[in-house]
Amino acid sequence: MTTEVAPEPADLLTRLQERFPGAVEPAPEPYEGLIVARDRLVEVATFLRDEMGYGYLSNVVGVDYPEEVNGLPPRFEVVYHLFQPTGGPLTLHVHADRENPVVPSLVSVFPAAEFQEREAWDLLGIRFEGHPDLRRILLWEGFDGHPLRKDWHEVYYEEEKKPFSSRWPEGHPVMAESRAPLGRNLRYPPGWSPEDWRPTADAWGYRPHDEVAEQRNPAMPVDRVVLNMGPHHPSTHGVLRLLATLEGERIQKLEPILGFLHRCHEKIGERNTWLGNIPYTDRLDYVCSMTNNWPYVLAVEKLMGVEVPERAEYIRVIMGEFTRFLNHAVSVGFMCNDLGIYFTVMLYALEEREFILDLFEMTAGSRMMCNYMRFGGVAHDMTDEAVGLARELAFERLPRFVDKVDAYLTENELFRARTVGVGVLPPDQAVAYGCSGPLLRGSGVPYDIRRADPYSIYDEFDFDVITAPDGDAYSRYLVRLGEMRESLRILQQALNRLPDGPVMAGKKKATLKVPAGESYGRIEAPKGELGFYVVSDGGPNPYRYHIRAPSFINLGVMGELCRGHLIADVVIILASVDITLGEVDR
Amino acid sequence: MESLSRFLAFLADAIVNIGDWIRGLLLGAGLVDPWVSLIMKAIGALVVAFFPLMVVVFLIWAYRKVAARMQGRLGPNSSGTWAGPYGILQTFADAIKMLTKEDIRPQGIDLIPYNLAPILVVFASIATWAVMPFGPRLIGSDLNIGIFYILAFSSAALVVFLMAGWSSNNKYATVGAFRSVAQLIGYEIPQLLAVLTVVMVTGSLRMQEIVGQQEIPLLFQLPVTAFIFFLASMAEVNARPFELLEAESELVCGYFIEYSGMKFGMFYLGEFMNSTAVAALFATLFLGGWRGPWVEQAPILGTVWFLLKMGLMLLLWMFIQITFPRLRIDQMLAFNWKFLVPLALANLCVIGLVNKGITEWFPGGVSTWTRAGILLMTNVGIFLATWGILAALERREQRRRETWRAAQVGEVEVSA
Amino acid sequence: MTVQQVLFFLFGAIALGAAIGMVTARKVFHAALWMLLAFFGVAGLYVLLEAPFFAAAQLFVYMGAIGVLIIYAIMLTRGMMRQRLPRVNDQWWFAGLLAAALLVVLAWLVWQHPWATTTAAAPADSLNRLGLTLVDPEGFALPFEVASVLLVMALIGAVTIVRER
Repeated sequence: MTTEVAPEPADLLTRLQERFPGAVEPAPEPYEGLIVARDRLVEVATFLRDEMGYGYLSNVVGVDYPEEVNGLPPRFEVVYHLFQPTGGPLTLHVHADRENPVVPSLVSVFPAAEFQEREAWDLLGIRFEGHPDLRRILLWEGFDGHPLRKDWHEVYYEEEKKPFSSRWPEGHPVMAESRAPLGRNLRYPPGWSPEDWRPTADAWGYRPHDEVAEQRNPAMPVDRVVLNMGPHHPSTHGVLRLLATLEGERIQKLEPILGFLHRCHEKIGERNTWLGNIPYTDRLDYVCSMTNNWPYVLAVEKLMGVEVPERAEYIRVIMGEFTRFLNHAVSVGFMCNDLGIYFTVMLYALEEREFILDLFEMTAGSRMMCNYMRFGGVAHDMTDEAVGLARELAFERLPRFVDKVDAYLTENELFRARTVGVGVLPPDQAVAYGCSGPLLRGSGVPYDIRRADPYSIYDEFDFDVITAPDGDAYSRYLVRLGEMRESLRILQQALNRLPDGPVMAGKKKATLKVPAGESYGRIEAPKGELGFYVVSDGGPNPYRYHIRAPSFINLGVMGELCRGHLIADVVIILASVDITLGEVDR
Repeated sequence: MESLSRFLAFLADAIVNIGDWIRGLLLGAGLVDPWVSLIMKAIGALVVAFFPLMVVVFLIWAYRKVAARMQGRLGPNSSGTWAGPYGILQTFADAIKMLTKEDIRPQGIDLIPYNLAPILVVFASIATWAVMPFGPRLIGSDLNIGIFYILAFSSAALVVFLMAGWSSNNKYATVGAFRSVAQLIGYEIPQLLAVLTVVMVTGSLRMQEIVGQQEIPLLFQLPVTAFIFFLASMAEVNARPFELLEAESELVCGYFIEYSGMKFGMFYLGEFMNSTAVAALFATLFLGGWRGPWVEQAPILGTVWFLLKMGLMLLLWMFIQITFPRLRIDQMLAFNWKFLVPLALANLCVIGLVNKGITEWFPGGVSTWTRAGILLMTNVGIFLATWGILAALERREQRRRETWRAAQVGEVEVSA
Repeated sequence: MTVQQVLFFLFGAIALGAAIGMVTARKVFHAALWMLLAFFGVAGLYVLLEAPFFAAAQLFVYMGAIGVLIIYAIMLTRGMMRQRLPRVNDQWWFAGLLAAALLVVLAWLVWQHPWATTTAAAPADSLNRLGLTLVDPEGFALPFEVASVLLVMALIGAVTIVRER
């Protein structure tokens, strides 16, 4: 990222129109940003990156409009969210033909687009021309169709939108499972049967690895081994599969293969009501459910134009920072697990986590799946008892824990031996791959959304953006440690200044009126930039509901990080990237 | 009164006396001597073989308990199902569970080596106990090559890892087997050199003789040697900082990944038994084995001292297991070949010269204390020299890193 | 038959049987394991000869080091483990001839040699004597040192071959 001054939007539009006459036009109401002509997209993106300072491609999302929605003709649309070092998004819309959707790939300009374009191909069937490796990413080969298309219906399809009237015939609940028993709720592509299907090397991701394995060093012929790590492996933190080509124990090529936990969260979200989606967001990154609610309610609040009461904002910050602390503590603990200190550090972290979960239980009523935030506030007020516990944790207990971890690990010779210089991510590469969170800041890029594009009331707090210069696993550990300290600083300020007042704007309502439009809400979640892109057509359900999951996008750089390292380093690198599979696979 | 003193005399060397009593019984029953000796040897072998097994059963419990307490947990206990006071019978429950589990045979295994490996791994660990001196008169067989016998068996046991790793038809197991060769053969060298130093100072390979020479435990005469031996042994038994053969977070279980049920249990057992054997070996070589106060009066106390010293080493082993991260394979090999082997070689040469020098310069012989003092001073010298060399290397490395970083900063100006 | 004899025949049978198993095994890995068993049988014979040092050295060097390195080399060879190889190649008749000739020579030597039998026990300090002989200039000091120089040369050669240039 460069430090150019952000141009004014109007100025930006004129410059773009001067440079690319006829290719760029402002998006009509209720959309934001620009509409870019399909064939000039790569040029426009290169121009924006190199000359306008929009160096960070955060989000790529495809939307299907089979009919006229919000006053625009039927089309496929790909939406890009670009960012400068500070400030809000520049939204680019690219329209594609409904019958044969083809869009030029942006991978050559922003490597960050690689995984997201594969996702858009997988779920929507939008073909990206020039993509180096356009395969399915979340679904498997025996899946029929592209599920996020509006005309794609599941086998046990009932209705387009919830609540389904078929679930309550004459007031008695009927489970969907009883209507579509197991075995008949599957559909394969025409002419495809699981019995006859033999996975080709290509389909299972072996082809590129075989090619690497065949390359021989003429001076000393060495056989290479293709090794599968996962989906069942103690250190992949879930059902992640890493396909590695080894020479000896050294990684020649490594590729994450995803989708083992895929549940088509976004399709579920489109069927749900606006409010009904909040508990589903808890299940994304199940370690930190509080921060999962937040960007969603932020995005919808932007559409609705609701003002959040001050006390509710403070409570959101308190919960968010506790969640960040919890996540980083557990992450450091699990990293030590992967290093071989089985459970010792991890259990110390989980002990603190228990106290934080107690606090969540006191306020939200649930320990892990909090379902706490609402459009316009939070679900329940913090009691005095909860505030007391929060104060004790933030002022007494948790600082001690951070100091303890610092004392045990930071200067530990063995810990340093295993983490220093492992998985080095240069800053320019981190930005190009769209990395965010501690992974980005561990490479020395001081990009924190709480500072760069403040949401909620973060501009009122005094805290530092922690960075570490080396970009290795140790730097990322240092960033996490520093961020735990900064979280405590924010918590202490927030708890000292916690105002009285309501925690919810307006009255609680079961049905919501969300005006038509699009909105991208993003926060600095513990694992990185968590963004929710929602489109409303004014109805009771989101028209499009997309999650920019930091774990998913941070995994895109995994292959680069691991190249040339040993198998033993892979688990450390993966732990330092810090992923949750619930969020990766959605 | 007389019966009490006779009882006490019996108790003072109880195990040997029980052995004599059985021998008397057998002779009384009319058996002739070679057969009585054979039967006695068989009983002795059985006892020696069962000893490590019983120790390990409680060691596993103790390990889990200590680990739990260090991690803020309770560990095995009787709060759910009854498992004895403090959960002491948990290991038995686990053993029964393992015995009743299905014996899974993966596809493509090499059946005979696959099934032989778990048996041999326990065999090799038990075999080392044959020459371990439990007391002044208590030893399976006081071979004149005692310590060499132990090292030979632990070295030959390496084949078992290869058998298990290769026959499992699993890439992780193969990588584990490859690592086992690199690690175990590598660390055998400093271990052997450390033992050689001990042998040179005590002048014997016979275990009882090594113990007999230690009026002052060798730990206080040869601390550097003890340090080398300890580190090399940790690597030999695959303990935490060098736990690369199984490396749960990378290789899942290394060479025994495909084993289930009691076959897995055998490897688990073998591992704990090896650790116990190494602790016992350390206690014998460096802590004076069964030597301790009042052993002359009551030889049974020797066994108690021995077990206590062994327990101390095991406790140290546990602490390291629970708190240390694992090294990487290249770091571990570099540590061995670039630090431990040169140090062990230098240590061997210096101690050998000094030891020879003592006998040459004092033809009349010297008191044990003078000798120990000279050896200790030599060790301090070796330690300081090593420290100086390491510090100089570290400083050089630091300078190199700083210039590198300066060059990096000059190249890439990072800001956002 | 004394216990000694029983054990002698047992270990002899192990060594010979394992040797036959080695040359007839179809998998190279099995052949290597048979070879280790043969070494073990020989170690047992050394024990019966009251040469425990040699027995332990046999275990240590031949099983623990040489055998393991042979297996290691086999494991590094591509495809050697999986396929069942033919027992013989096209040079089998030559090898057989050579082996038969060796057998004849050895048998003749064994037959010819006047084997002295003694009932005296092995000296108790045989180990010390062995050590002294090895470093005695009158004894085997020269061959001992030459062997060690040879090994160092081999070591340096190996390092030179695998070093990255």
